[in-house]
Amino acid sequence: MSANILEVSGLKTYYKTRLKEKVFAVDGVDFDLEEGKTLGIAGESGCGKSTLALSLMGFYFPPLHYGSGSIRIHGNDIMKLSKEQLRSKVSGREIAYIPQAAMNALNPTLRIIRFIEDIMKEHRPELSKKQVWELASERFKTLNLPEKVLRSYPNELSGGMKQRTVIAISTILNPKVLIADEPTSALDVTSQKAVIKLLKDLLNKKYIRSLVFITHELPLLYHVTDDIMVMYAGEIVERGTAEQMIFDPVHPYTKKLMGSILVPEEGMKGQKLAAIPGAPPNLKQVPPGCRFAERCSYARDECKVGKVPVQTNGGNMYRCHFDTDTLKEWYANEQS
Amino acid sequence: MNAYSRYFFKKLFWYLMTLVIAIALNFFLPRMIEGNPVSLIVSQMSKGMTDSDTIKRVYETFMKEFGIDKPMWEQFVIYIKNLFIGDLGTSFGLYPKKVTDILTSAIPWTIGLQLPAILVGWILGNLLGAVAAYKKGVFDKVIFPVALFINSIPFFTLAIIMLYLFALTLGWFPLSGGYDFQMVPRLSLDFIGSVIRHHTLPFLSIVLVTIGGQAIGMREMSIYELNADYVLYAKLLGIRDSKISRYVFRNAMLPQITGLALSIGTMVGGSLICEIVFSYPGLGTWMFTAIRQLDYPLISGCTLLIAVTVLLANFTIDMIYGLIDPRIKAAQMEEE
Repeated sequence: MSANILEVSGLKTYYKTRLKEKVFAVDGVDFDLEEGKTLGIAGESGCGKSTLALSLMGFYFPPLHYGSGSIRIHGNDIMKLSKEQLRSKVSGREIAYIPQAAMNALNPTLRIIRFIEDIMKEHRPELSKKQVWELASERFKTLNLPEKVLRSYPNELSGGMKQRTVIAISTILNPKVLIADEPTSALDVTSQKAVIKLLKDLLNKKYIRSLVFITHELPLLYHVTDDIMVMYAGEIVERGTAEQMIFDPVHPYTKKLMGSILVPEEGMKGQKLAAIPGAPPNLKQVPPGCRFAERCSYARDECKVGKVPVQTNGGNMYRCHFDTDTLKEWYANEQS
Repeated sequence: MNAYSRYFFKKLFWYLMTLVIAIALNFFLPRMIEGNPVSLIVSQMSKGMTDSDTIKRVYETFMKEFGIDKPMWEQFVIYIKNLFIGDLGTSFGLYPKKVTDILTSAIPWTIGLQLPAILVGWILGNLLGAVAAYKKGVFDKVIFPVALFINSIPFFTLAIIMLYLFALTLGWFPLSGGYDFQMVPRLSLDFIGSVIRHHTLPFLSIVLVTIGGQAIGMREMSIYELNADYVLYAKLLGIRDSKISRYVFRNAMLPQITGLALSIGTMVGGSLICEIVFSYPGLGTWMFTAIRQLDYPLISGCTLLIAVTVLLANFTIDMIYGLIDPRIKAAQMEEE
């Protein structure tokens, strides 16, 4: 077993409202990521995916605040570093981020190469402008991005090209971990494919060592990631291999989520697509017990009280009162 | 011909068309005001005269001398012809002074008052606005309402209040004029001192109003830019705050530069109220006098000057803006 590159334990981060209430959008998240592996994080909107992505960067901008927990990269807890150390040693070098709205992620009045120069001034000050240019154009060439992008302003690039440019910029320092927050959500299918290919290229060429890919498009994860983690109301409800999560989910929420995917097959035209009734709970008042109980068709009275145990089943872990066999039996009964 | 020069000539053509229309309006509109300037002059001159024949002769002489006995279109042709040789005609009210002479004597006063005031107000206003947006907190909570308050007082009210308070009640500054009336304009310490004392109050009133407007605009723009996605992205790539502030304020400045160029362009006309309240010997006061005396050539001269400066300022902005902001440049090219 290779070493863990990223270890997150007990991470809690919250938004502070104007009334000084704390809303925990990431509420006790534990997971780790092996070197060379990719992890997908899925869930419906408002479940804390993007907040988790931001929280993993170690920087907190109001109204988001750090609560507790640790984020270790190769064993070093980045939450123990000072802000200045984090900025100069970790951000962009060890762990990099691709924002959700890459369309607006670039300063509109700065040529791409000027922005790359500014990044290099922080992290590789020994490089001359000419060397930066060589390094950047070399990198763009290997990633099949046209060199002339470097001389362009962001508004001169198409949406898909802008997204790929952002990815190339984020990874220019060969970060160990890349966090991609819905990098394909705003793109058409062709551009999505190009972005996925780019991310795979980065992994194959070992420019990045591992990838955390956040999306609400589950089928995409099956093609991209080794493992999938499903989030619900700030917690991780299930984690397993992509194969198992898509075809053999254990947690009722994952099961329902997979059931709501459109599968193009014969005779589906007349069928109604299953949807999960209701909405995730308001995180200001988290229900005691299981957070999904309110919408879960298998919920019993005991689900609504007490702590929900984390169960394991082989490589899979999930957060539910019932063991795998009981759940599987229920699912089987429902089918027949 | 490349895209930019095509754009240049197209714009130039439209600005020239606008100027032609402005010249026509400048000529015809004052002459459509009810009343006859010659009767006004003759009735003043002929006080005590009883011989109606003499009065009639005086009247006819003036009509002929001013050229307003001819049909309107013929006057217009003469006006245009004279315009080409730089002759704006002879003033009626200050006969036989040339309009060009009056304008050349008034312009230094207007520019001397407005230009430094606009520049100082603009710089201070933008600094305050940027700091208020950046620091937030108490500083912002004080600056913003004060700026809003000053900005919403009509300028003439503010000017009159200042005049009443500092000149009339406290007696710190003279009440009116550009210099002490018993002095003869020349380069002496006494005279310069007098000019500065008369200059201070109108100068401060303009500075105050400019600060208010600019601070509000800059604060708004800065807050918008500070929340832009590229700020977060740059931070997460480890770029230091001082550099990011430079991105933000450069982008926030762009609309403010347009504002500055516009207010410099309109300053000749914008000085009207200030100069009237403080009886300052600039262009505004002359225009006011000219309108009261139906001094057609002087009115047309003043308005022509204003039209030319406004058009020139707008044209300059249109031309150089593309060089600063790549987004505008793209829009320029698309127009083709």
